[in-house]
Amino acid sequence: MADYDRRSGGGGSSYNPKKRRYRDDDDYDRRGPRRRFDAPPHVRVRKQLIAIAENPMRPWHEEVQAIANLFTDNWDDELLRSNFVDLVLQLTVEQPLKTPFLAAVVLVANGNKPEVVDMLLAKVAGLVEENIKAGEWRDVKLHLKLLACLQGCLEGEGVFPVLEGLFERAVDLQTASSEDTIGTEIVKIILLTLPYVMVAAPGQWAQKAADLMEKTEIIASEPHALQTLIEPYHPETGDENPTQSQSLIGLLQTQLQNEANNGWTLACLPRPWEFPLNEVEQRSKLDDAVKHALPTITIPPTVIAGPRPLFPEVYFSVYANQGVESVPPLTNAAASLIRDALLDTINVLHFNRNVTARSLIDIDCYFAPRTFAARATPFDKLRDIEPPKSTWKPEDVAVDAVFSQIFQLPSPEHKLVYYHSVLTEACKLAPAAIAPSLGRAIRYLYRNSPRLDLELAYRFMDWFSHHLSNFGFTWKWTEWVDDVYLPDVHPRKAFIAGALDREIRLSFAQRIKGTLPDPYKEMIGPEKEQDVPDFKFANDDTPFAAEGREIAALLKRKAPDEEIEAVIQRIQSVAIDRDLDALVASTDVFVTCVLHVGSKSLSHVLAAIERTKDRLTSLGAASDAARTQIIAATMAFWSAHPGVALRIIEKLLNYSILMPETVINWALLARAGSTRGEALSVSYIYELVFNTVVKVTNRVRQLAMKASSAPENADESAGSIKQMRALFAAIEDALASWATGSKDEMIETGEGDSSNEKFVRRWGERWLRVFRRRAAIEEAFLVEAEKERARKAEEEAQNGNDGEGPGEKMNTEGEEVA
Amino acid sequence: MRGSEQRRATVDRLDQPSAYFNSRHKRRRFEKEQRDGDEDTNMQNDQPEEDPLKNATTLYVGNLSFYTTEEQVYELFSKCGEIKRLVMGLDRFTKTPCGFCFVEYYTHQDALDCMKYIGGTKLDERIIRTDLDPGFTEGRQYGRGKSGGQVRDEYREDYDEGRGGLGRAIQAARMREREGRDYDDDMQYGRLK
Repeated sequence: MADYDRRSGGGGSSYNPKKRRYRDDDDYDRRGPRRRFDAPPHVRVRKQLIAIAENPMRPWHEEVQAIANLFTDNWDDELLRSNFVDLVLQLTVEQPLKTPFLAAVVLVANGNKPEVVDMLLAKVAGLVEENIKAGEWRDVKLHLKLLACLQGCLEGEGVFPVLEGLFERAVDLQTASSEDTIGTEIVKIILLTLPYVMVAAPGQWAQKAADLMEKTEIIASEPHALQTLIEPYHPETGDENPTQSQSLIGLLQTQLQNEANNGWTLACLPRPWEFPLNEVEQRSKLDDAVKHALPTITIPPTVIAGPRPLFPEVYFSVYANQGVESVPPLTNAAASLIRDALLDTINVLHFNRNVTARSLIDIDCYFAPRTFAARATPFDKLRDIEPPKSTWKPEDVAVDAVFSQIFQLPSPEHKLVYYHSVLTEACKLAPAAIAPSLGRAIRYLYRNSPRLDLELAYRFMDWFSHHLSNFGFTWKWTEWVDDVYLPDVHPRKAFIAGALDREIRLSFAQRIKGTLPDPYKEMIGPEKEQDVPDFKFANDDTPFAAEGREIAALLKRKAPDEEIEAVIQRIQSVAIDRDLDALVASTDVFVTCVLHVGSKSLSHVLAAIERTKDRLTSLGAASDAARTQIIAATMAFWSAHPGVALRIIEKLLNYSILMPETVINWALLARAGSTRGEALSVSYIYELVFNTVVKVTNRVRQLAMKASSAPENADESAGSIKQMRALFAAIEDALASWATGSKDEMIETGEGDSSNEKFVRRWGERWLRVFRRRAAIEEAFLVEAEKERARKAEEEAQNGNDGEGPGEKMNTEGEEVA
Repeated sequence: MRGSEQRRATVDRLDQPSAYFNSRHKRRRFEKEQRDGDEDTNMQNDQPEEDPLKNATTLYVGNLSFYTTEEQVYELFSKCGEIKRLVMGLDRFTKTPCGFCFVEYYTHQDALDCMKYIGGTKLDERIIRTDLDPGFTEGRQYGRGKSGGQVRDEYREDYDEGRGGLGRAIQAARMREREGRDYDDDMQYGRLK
């Protein structure tokens, strides 16, 4: 841990212990005291701008003034002049928490060198136009935020015309379709920009803002048609208080309305351009500074969704309803404004999680003083804080933002593991402050996981086990000890079982056992401590034991296939005599033997599969039952280490030895059937089905993209779409009967085990919702891909007519992955 | 954002190759130039060399415990995308894991994401190191140290129980004391067959 910390923040240079050791020895300076050396102004300005507001000890106005003066004093330095504007714009996008401070530097610089503002505005206007055209909505928002902070030095109505222009597009889109998401996104951008205008030019724009908000009201207050699709909670039917999450823009609209009613106090936003009263000169200079016209920003008649699919968003918090407000309440605009700035920071800085984590820890540097309680104030101490002072815990607010991404449906911008890594780094940077916040989040999520959408419940499990693996697997398991005695189908017991399984996969059984209180230990049987499972044919009582041992021996010495074939024939004829399915019997023996021969490691089993893949393929092709038996044998052999079984099945799917339908049939019909549906509560069964579906949908997306650029692939793409739809239909069929309780296996038993039956029905409902959503999202993707294809074709046609196109566009995308 | 790729970010990127790779690569290029210098025309040398990591899908993973299994590596590294191939680093002589591996993904993006999100985090309770790699070639799975493991495990002065205790060269010198300690080590991990 220590060696990595040393390079936190940087990460560019690698840490080499050997080098350090040698350096330690001759660090006693050979060169005498380091000579004082002042870096050239453009280097100093760059360094100071990048680090702006990071030092909590330095008053904002001093820092802002110092940078602005350093810049204008060296106005003749051409390098500095040209770099300054670009750097401000780059920081606006890369480190959005700093935007108000950058704006303040520009405003002060405006007093000495007004030209700089014109240079900046010209560039921003161009960028906003470009970003709107490309559908880069976050960049649009971040640039508008900078403009909003500069409202005080803009001529006329400043940014309002841009916001109004954008709103017109939103109205068009929303009237055209209730499922439109671009209009929703635009309204979100408008509402998030407005507050910065109001603090940058206080008292001037109340009427203008009111007019704009009157317009946005219609769109913002209407629940979005797709909102049910992305709702993070999935309450049980008959739940007393089914919490419906608030749509982000609906929430913003009411929060800003409150602000408007209170004269736009917006207490949380920083105002680094405000100078103390005794700085008379600077204050008057700012007041009298030149105003500039914002170049016209043209908005194209049609706007596009851009590279990332847009969905409506809801506000998610793990710290709601705690008794003490450790995060801003939903009624306060601070909730949305702080969250928005943090999310942009998190998602933009995916390429350096250390810096992301640092920004989260330093969150109180970037908002108005007294917005938060002191860092690392224990939760219990928040109660003692006297009313006008804030009880918002900076750690809670920061961590909450990261969780909102992990629990975003359909999926967050980056891979989930990114958000895991941010939490890990934050916890490493400030363990005493962050760890207790995470603990309370975990408790909230654990309590509510039965009500969470099932996909999100599994995201929680995945994060939880991964997080613990970075911190010595320590957790206060004692507080959930009563739940160990719940039935296995209970969602909380299922969570514990799944989490332990994942911990073991990242570590090993004995180690995990050592971290658990006694009652849990029984959940980890001795078979899990065994690295290599027993070979069932070693036992003579097992049917076909002799044949199994024979095949294993043949496989071990890589005997020719004919010799194996002979034994298989023997098994089949014996099976027929015993009235067994001959294909199933021989498949079970053969697959078990392959697994046994490859039981030493995944490489071994993959090599064994590679060697026997022809036989495995023909076994699989022989009958549905045989194909299903391949999975059954794999799951049986690796039952103590389901993670290994899942990897093997993944590879068998890659070889097309198994088909996605085989997985569905085995999991949702065979396995679920033989357990009266209780298999639906087992985490690795879900994981198996989920991964299979993801594999199929990724493939469909890949082919659809390929087809859109090269029409000769259209058939392959259409075929894959058909298969995907059939797969979703099969899942729907299998799950619907579990969810409604109409499954034969459930009716037949009728042993009055009604509570388990109730649980199974609920699992069925939760599964169903996940896969229905996945299906809907894929259909939406295909619709968008088709739109995009049509748009491109049209563009190409137009270019061709104008005669300025580069002729045929060759698409030389990288090679296709399997 | 056009051109943002070329521009230096205001924050360092974690998905860059390490100084180790760069220096090795530079040295090799330099040596090659020295070797080929006479025959090669200047024309060829002027051509910018193709970046061998531009589309890299493989990562070198270092600082693993000797006891970390393939399954554990799969479990963690699959969080960045499906793994195409995993090659465990082995002791040249004993053919047992010696604390590194190569992970190959299907896409370059997955490899970059792995650099950003997994490099420097823990696997089997050790901080692991990842580095972009131009691709596995046969022979690279073996340690290049004198005694068969990795070079860094020859003269290591710190006692690292996950990597066989002290450096092997030092251990050899302390043969006698060592025996008892190795036994403890095995007990603690309990995973040696």
